[in-house]
Amino acid sequence: MTDKEKFIVYMSICELPNKKQELFLEALEDFSLQSVIKSKIIETNLTREEYHRFISNYDIRTFETALSNMEKACIEILTVESEKYPQKLFNLPDRPLVLYAKGDLSLLNEKAIAVVGTRSPSNYGKVVTEKFVGSLATAGFVIVSGLCYGVDEIAHKKTLEVGGKTIAVVGSGFNNIYPSINTNLSKEIAEKGLLLSEYPPSFVAKRYTFPRRNRIVAGLSDGVLITEAGKKSGTVHTKEYALEYGKDIFAVPGGIFSDKSELTNELIKTAQAECTLSADEIIDFYGMKRLANKKTVEVSFDEQTILSILSDGEKDVDFLAEKSNIPINILNSCLTTLEIRGLIRRLPAKTYSLI
Amino acid sequence: MLSKVLSFGLSGIEGFATQIETDIVGGLPHFEIVGLGDTSVKEAKERVKSAIRNSGFEYPAKHYTINLAPADVKKEGPHFDLGIAVGILAASEQIVKKSYKEFIFLGELSLDGSVKKVKGVLPMLISARSLGFNKIVLPKENVEEARFITGLDIFAFDSLRAVVEFLNEELVEMPLPLETRSFEEVCVKRENKLDFENVKGQAVAKRALEIAAAGGHNVLMIGPPGSGKSMLAKCFSGILPDLTFEEALEVTKIHSVAGVLDLKKGIISERPFRTPHHTATTISLTGGGAHSKPGEISLAHNGVLYLDEFPEYSRQLIETLRQPLEDGVITVARANQTITYPSCFTLVASMNPCPCGNYGSKDRECKCSPVQIHKYLGKISGPIMDRIDIQVEVDNIAYSDLHTDKKEECSSSIKMRVDKARAVQLDRFSGSKTFSNSKMSVAQTKKYCTLSKECQLLMEQAFTNLKLSARAHDRILRVARTIADLEDEKDILPQHLAEAISYRGLDRKYWSV
Repeated sequence: MTDKEKFIVYMSICELPNKKQELFLEALEDFSLQSVIKSKIIETNLTREEYHRFISNYDIRTFETALSNMEKACIEILTVESEKYPQKLFNLPDRPLVLYAKGDLSLLNEKAIAVVGTRSPSNYGKVVTEKFVGSLATAGFVIVSGLCYGVDEIAHKKTLEVGGKTIAVVGSGFNNIYPSINTNLSKEIAEKGLLLSEYPPSFVAKRYTFPRRNRIVAGLSDGVLITEAGKKSGTVHTKEYALEYGKDIFAVPGGIFSDKSELTNELIKTAQAECTLSADEIIDFYGMKRLANKKTVEVSFDEQTILSILSDGEKDVDFLAEKSNIPINILNSCLTTLEIRGLIRRLPAKTYSLI
Repeated sequence: MLSKVLSFGLSGIEGFATQIETDIVGGLPHFEIVGLGDTSVKEAKERVKSAIRNSGFEYPAKHYTINLAPADVKKEGPHFDLGIAVGILAASEQIVKKSYKEFIFLGELSLDGSVKKVKGVLPMLISARSLGFNKIVLPKENVEEARFITGLDIFAFDSLRAVVEFLNEELVEMPLPLETRSFEEVCVKRENKLDFENVKGQAVAKRALEIAAAGGHNVLMIGPPGSGKSMLAKCFSGILPDLTFEEALEVTKIHSVAGVLDLKKGIISERPFRTPHHTATTISLTGGGAHSKPGEISLAHNGVLYLDEFPEYSRQLIETLRQPLEDGVITVARANQTITYPSCFTLVASMNPCPCGNYGSKDRECKCSPVQIHKYLGKISGPIMDRIDIQVEVDNIAYSDLHTDKKEECSSSIKMRVDKARAVQLDRFSGSKTFSNSKMSVAQTKKYCTLSKECQLLMEQAFTNLKLSARAHDRILRVARTIADLEDEKDILPQHLAEAISYRGLDRKYWSV
């Protein structure tokens, strides 16, 4: 059986359950492609749905162009047999048989933390994610996430912002990034980090491909950090995989009334996850080096007043105006300068919080 | 016999002189009006005929030809009726004195011979004055509107009979020209307006509106439903600087042409505040149509156009705002004519941050998906956002704030600051066509918004650290200029710049995530 034939099979079986994929490949060792396809479809007992998934991806006519396009786009194909296949995934029970990768492959072997969570984080979740990711990425961890909305997106963006390394594992082909808003982000990650998928480039994401790619996110990382997630979040899958693979799980606690912190609080309560209050705890856990403390900056009297009010949590401008008795024009200008200097952060609905 | 009588026509909001030529010859009875009149002009035939008979004059059965010159310009409206009737009576020698040739006649005729009110009197009179005419005959109902124009001898009548008697100098008591009225007289104290005094809290939004009023900047308010956006917008017109007489005349001209002028008052003395609903059609907003009429954006000239629930307006409609926001005029091109209406307004728009309205709210949860939010905000295109200088967020206020006894500043004291800042601007731009900071040209921005070293550094940091988009740059400078004017500072200081930057919320990265 030639490499080309094998490649068609890899492209075609990407949607099948892992066990059935393995059966296919085993059969290929002995027989020709055509006969295998004919016999194996019956032998492996594909359900009707699975059969359709297989047939829709099995297209000999397009695979030549697909292959040359991938070469042009510098997309590497890592099969389980290739040397470059990540060691971390090799021994997993349901490892992906083929990976499509674009970017810096060396990141696969470095210390990595997966940062995952809800697609619609609260202001608290956003701040937590940014703060943790900022410290972890500067400390030298590779940040792994899923390039979805919310926590994923913030994690990738923040890593790139501080000049860190990031791996994005997507649940679609590279040419059909979901959500499409993040297409540009995916290109940036391919340039400065690594973009990874188990689906061929033209593959369009389906509902079930997202939970499935979470096993790669969990598998690639040494620890999984959950910054904010509710009980229905897809993060539940990542957590399950991480538990199964024996990875460390870190969770940041949230308010007990917040739906969006239900999962993290639950994990902490049941001792499935480490209760993590600062990024330094994770850095220490893996024995990495913390970054130096920030320099103290000089602030004016008004600015100090604002900072001390904000130390109590996020506040909106009208509240600040009333509490501090600073005229609104001065207050607005103070807030902008504080923000420019990186001491506070602006959130939607004219709310500010400390960084 | 042939007679020539003067009247005026309207093109857009400018009047043009029209000569009504009437020729009566023998032959079979016939009546024809030529000179590109629309249906209401053609129908004058029946009104004039009855009006002449019912006023006790003769209408000989002859061949009538009426020409409205210039014959190549489209003419609309029933205000030529009076001129046509006078022309016929002159041509049939029932008006004996020749003084009718010096007058301009405006008025619609009723079948019983009375003279009824017409639209667009003010613009026609202003054009008449500038063309050197000075004797006008018009309907009594239009008197108040006409009395603001100085330098014209205006005579008002309510029937055709009175007009003819006046022209024949048969009246026992010859009427004197109307006395003019001063503008100050009508500018009575504004009352019953919503006052900022009644708006609790919302310090940021109030400050933003103060700056907007001072510099004529366009504002977008973003906030959850029920947070008081509409209330703030309504209060906004109370802090705008007073209309000058020239501005008032322009506004009145437009309203007069549109036929929405209050004839008792005669002039518009307050800045208009127009609130078209989001089901409005594009034509109703821009103007034009079969009988070309100014639209909402022209009626908002020198005032405020308030668009509530901004993204709910059709995309096409929002995009048509581009030209007026940039040039202060709207050009409506149709197959038969192209008309330009002035439309220099301050746009005040309000919108929810997402379809459910609760995105970013502290006490209510947003149920929208990120795609929905992205799409909702995407309804306002970049070029339109580019023309909105101030973006301010408004949030629900707590119940306790509603019932505090804390005194809020009233509109009149805010208005005093606004007036002062406007005076500074008028002084700065004297001699140029700019009236406010928001309308500064690129060259003027460069000249009047110079930044010190310190300010430049701040601007640079703001752009890199806050990820502002490049299009925000000039907008920020103009707003900073206004803030400096409000504080009577000659130069833009760092705190002015920093405050201006704080009003560029939507250019910022946090909004999308």
